[in-house]
Parts: sequence; C-alpha cells; structure tokens
Amino acid sequence: MKSFNNRLASIRGAGTVKIVGVIAVAAILFAFPRFVESPYALHMMILFFLSTLMGSSWNIIGGYTGQYSVGHAAYFGTGAYTTMILLTFKDIPPWYGVWAGVAAAVVVALVIGTICFRLRGPYFVLASIAVAEIIRVTALNLTDLTKGAEGILLTDIPPFMIGDTILTDFSSKVPYYYISLVLALLMILVTWLVQNSKLGYYFQAIREDQDAAHSLGINLTIWKNAALVISAVFTSLAGSFYAIFVKFIDPTTVLPLDLSVQIVLISIIGGIGTIFGPVVGALVLVPLSEMLRSNIIAQGLINSGLVSAESATGIFLKEHLAHAHVLIYGILVVIVILFMPEGVLGFFRTIVARKRKGAA
Amino acid sequence: MAILEIRNVSKFFGGLAANSDVSFEVNEGMIMGLIGPNGAGKTTLFNCITGYYPPSKGEVVFDGKRMNGLQPDKVCKLGMARTWQKVRPLAKMTLLDNVMVGALCRTNSLKVAREMAMEQIGVVRLEHKAGFLAGGLPIGERKKLEVARVLATRPKLLLLDEVMGGLNPAESEDIIKLILDIKAQGKITQMVIEHDMKAIMRISDRIVVLNSGEKLAEGEPQEIVNNPEVVAAYLGTE
Ligand SMILES: Nc1ncnc2c1ncn2[C@@H]1O[C@H](COP(=O)(O)OP(=O)(O)O)[C@@H](O)[C@H]1O
Ligand SMILES: [Mg+2]
Repeated sequence: MKSFNNRLASIRGAGTVKIVGVIAVAAILFAFPRFVESPYALHMMILFFLSTLMGSSWNIIGGYTGQYSVGHAAYFGTGAYTTMILLTFKDIPPWYGVWAGVAAAVVVALVIGTICFRLRGPYFVLASIAVAEIIRVTALNLTDLTKGAEGILLTDIPPFMIGDTILTDFSSKVPYYYISLVLALLMILVTWLVQNSKLGYYFQAIREDQDAAHSLGINLTIWKNAALVISAVFTSLAGSFYAIFVKFIDPTTVLPLDLSVQIVLISIIGGIGTIFGPVVGALVLVPLSEMLRSNIIAQGLINSGLVSAESATGIFLKEHLAHAHVLIYGILVVIVILFMPEGVLGFFRTIVARKRKGAA
Repeated sequence: MAILEIRNVSKFFGGLAANSDVSFEVNEGMIMGLIGPNGAGKTTLFNCITGYYPPSKGEVVFDGKRMNGLQPDKVCKLGMARTWQKVRPLAKMTLLDNVMVGALCRTNSLKVAREMAMEQIGVVRLEHKAGFLAGGLPIGERKKLEVARVLATRPKLLLLDEVMGGLNPAESEDIIKLILDIKAQGKITQMVIEHDMKAIMRISDRIVVLNSGEKLAEGEPQEIVNNPEVVAAYLGTE
C-alpha cells in the first residue's frame, strides 16, 4: 500500500512539473512574435500549431479509442468548405462560419460513425477511407456550391471586430499565429480533460478490448461516436483555420487521402494515446516536410559530397526528392513502427526510465 | 426465488448445436455449478445469457426481465456480470484503471470509482499491484483482476467462467475462499463454470451438467457424483 501511495504521489509530482512546464512554454510562445518578426519563422510556427491541433484531434478517436480513422480529411474539408462558402458567397464572417463548420462536421461524424463503427479493425479503416473519398468526389462534382476542381479563392477577409473596435485586419501573420496557438493549446487542454475523466477510461477500455468493455457496461455506439465527435469538432476547426490562412481551397488540398494519412502520421510518429505525442509528431513532421519542400535534403546530400550534382542520382534527387514526401513519410513510419512502437515520445520516455533504473 | 431462468435455450453455429434446449433456474443467493466436458457448451451458454450473442431459440429471464436481444452493456447495468474464460485484461491500463472501468458503470466520478475499485482490489488482495499494467501481470493475478473488475460493477448475479483455470493450488484456494465469502455476504448470486471437480463439489449448492450442448443432469453435488450418466460422460471423453 505504501509503495502504491508513493507511486501515486510521484505521479502527481510529475503532473505539477508538467503543468508548470506547459505554462512556461505557452508564455514563451505567446511572447514569441514580439521578438521574432520574420514572416517565415511565424509561418513555420503556425504550421506547427496547426499540425499539433490536427494530430491531437485524431489522437482522441485513433490514439485513445483505438479506432484508426484514415478519413479525417472529411472533417477538415467540411470545416474548410463551410467557412469558405459562407464567407465568399454569403459574406458571413469566418468567426461565425467556423461554428457552422463545426456543426456540419458533427453531422458528418455521426453519419460516418453510424456507418463505420459497425465494422472493426481493418474493415473500419477501409470504410473510413471510402466515406472520405465519397465526400471528396462529391465536393469535386457539386460545382454550384464548391466550384469543383477550380477551388475557392478568398480575396479579402473582413476585419475581426468586437463592437466598433477592430481587433485585427489580418494584414500580417501575427493574428494567425495567435489564433492557431490558442487552438493548439485548447486541444491539449481538451485532451487532458478527456484523459482525466470517465471519457478517457471508457475510450481506452474500448481501445484495449471492445468485448470486455462492452460487458463492463460500456455502450460502444455511444462512446465511440462521442470520441469521433470531439475529434471531428477540432479537425473541422483546423480546416476552417487553414482555409482562411491559405485563402484558397480545392478538393485536392483539403479533402485528399494524402491529408488523412498525414493527420494519422502526426500522432503515430509522436506516440498515440498520450497528451504530448502529437506535439512531438508535429515537431518532427513539420520541419521534415519543409525540408523536403525546399529541397534542403537533396542540396545537403550534394553539398556534403555524398552525391555529385552532375551524376544521374544527383539530378534525379534534385528533381524528385521534393515530390517524394509520401515515400519519405512511408520510410519514417516503418522506422518508427519497427524501432519505436510507442512513438518518438514513448521511445525517449523508455530511455529516460532505463537510465533512472540504472542510476538507482 | 429464481433470479435467473433459462428456458429452452438453444444456440446453433451453422449445423452445430452448441446448446440445445437447455432449461434450469438459479435461485437467489446460491452458487450454481456448471460442468461438462470440453466443448459441452458451457461458455456458449454464458454468452447467450449475457447478450454476447442472442440464443437461437428459447429465452433468458433475469430478475423477472426477458433478456433476449439486450446488449452486454445493458445486461451489465441490470446487474449481471461475467468473467471471461480467456482473460481479457485492458493490457495497457493499470490494474487499478481496469477495475475503475468496472466501477464507472455505477458512477461518473473518478474519485468514487477509484474508492470502489480499491475496495474490490482489496477483496482479491492485490493492493500491492494496483499501479501495475494489467498486461504484465501473471495469469493468476489477471484472473483475480477479472473478478475484482466485475465485482466493481456491483452485480446481483456473477457468472464466473473457469476462474481457477491455470492457477496453482494456493491461488485456486484463494479464489474458492473468495467465492464462498461472496456467498456468505448474501448479496450476490453466483454461477460458476469449473473444471476442477473437487472445487466445484465443494462450493456448489446445485450443479447442472452439460454434455454435447444438452443438459445431462441437474442436482445437488452428491446426486451428481453418483449419477452413472455423468460418470460415463466424463469417462467417455477423458
Ligand atoms: N463462435 C463460435 N462459432 C462456431 N462454433 C463455436 C463458437 N463458439 C463455440 N463454438 C463451438 O461450440 C461448442 C461449445 O463450445 P464452448 O461453449 O466454448 O464449450 P465449453 O465452454 O463447454 O468448453 C464447441 O464445439 C465449439 O467449437
Ligand atoms: Mg468454456
């Protein structure tokens, strides 16, 4: 009993350290734009917050509840399209539009949940992909509403006002920085609340063993849908934010399978079913995809002398590596699954635990 | 008074009758033993009773309510809880969290659930393992975890499917004591599937014998051991 109480106490102690750590990091992040003005740096931070938001949202249904949805682009796209359509065609400002997007995503989630949660394991995965693809193809063909493949371009955003005071006119990256930061922090808070409530226990019980969970009084339909709805709400917010931030959406940017896979990877690479796993995943993936995009890796290989710029390989790498992100992600996932089954975060936790044991 | 009535229950898997036309009653407060050779249909009967799947024919009445078609979660809420022959620990959760999941069937508060869970973990004497991951516990402790977890759902009827399977004699003795303690407290009726004949004879008030899906005999332990048909069924398959 004593050792158990000690253990509990040390867990609580670790909790306090974590909370202080999170508050300190949050404070630094809030101050960041005062010291760094580079739009590029802000842009990267915004992508990091957005990825954290997307990964953590998926983590609720995939990581905690164990339902591997590979169709989350559906909720991202629903948020993006709802907000964008209301803004460009109906002049409804985005701070109302996002809530319409959230409502639409909840409806989509409940429809998808009703269809897909009858299925288990790989069948659920395939069904989630199929439904998201149906939505993408629908968006592509509902040209009256979505402009189809042409996409929707946003020309100007109304300033964000409270009463008569203009809070921001969105002319720099700073307002986007703060909005995405608040969304990411909110999602981390939501994850913490889930983990420390009946929801978290029921979600994890379903993940560990559906039949056992069912026989312990857990209504699978209700609780799986609850997890999916929470996940969809925040994925939709991410989509709405993306639409306003990038100012252009079409089915291949906000509804593709590619995006669904990326959302899953953030969480899997970082570590599923943990509060900070997706944060770590975003820390790995955002710089990686930026390096691929800007061809830093190919350039690095050439500069380091490993590959000659004139050789066939060098030319091939320079031309194609930037477009090979799917391949690189695939390799990364294989590495993580083989060597870090608990994700990058879990991997480092194990190492720290081992060192402590060694020291003790 | 009968807390559980099983009326002409049959369960078919394709052409195989895993249960055929089984009927008996379980009275409140008693321990009903359920025995039979491997493949006799004991686990299948538990599955039909608890809603894991519906019986193909017949009905199950619990506490005056017809249970057919009710899902396992409703069945649990109504006060009937079962353990699994092949244990099903929630592997990546601690022992305490596993038992709390059971307790959360009756409360929304984690604090209350934690107290209820610690109480049941005390009953199976695993306090020192409360913070351990369930997946890493040895089989004996995983069996006890299952018992603590279903007790935490506050059942009126407890269905135990071979909880002593794979345990050493000392651990089996612990479980027997636990089952007799539960009976002595008088709140929970129990139905127990068990392979160990000595144990089942010792704890049961009545015993039902299944063979090839059919009810072969029913009676008090003494009647059962002296029943030539039962002896033949067991000798025939050994
Ligand atoms: N889900 C199932 N599908 C097909 N056959 C099954 C299924 N479950 C059990 N059976 C068969 O039903 C019979 C009874 O099995 P079971 O109830 O597990 O027996 P017991 O628990 O008495 O050992 C066995 O022949 C078994 O193979
Ligand atoms: Mg069995």
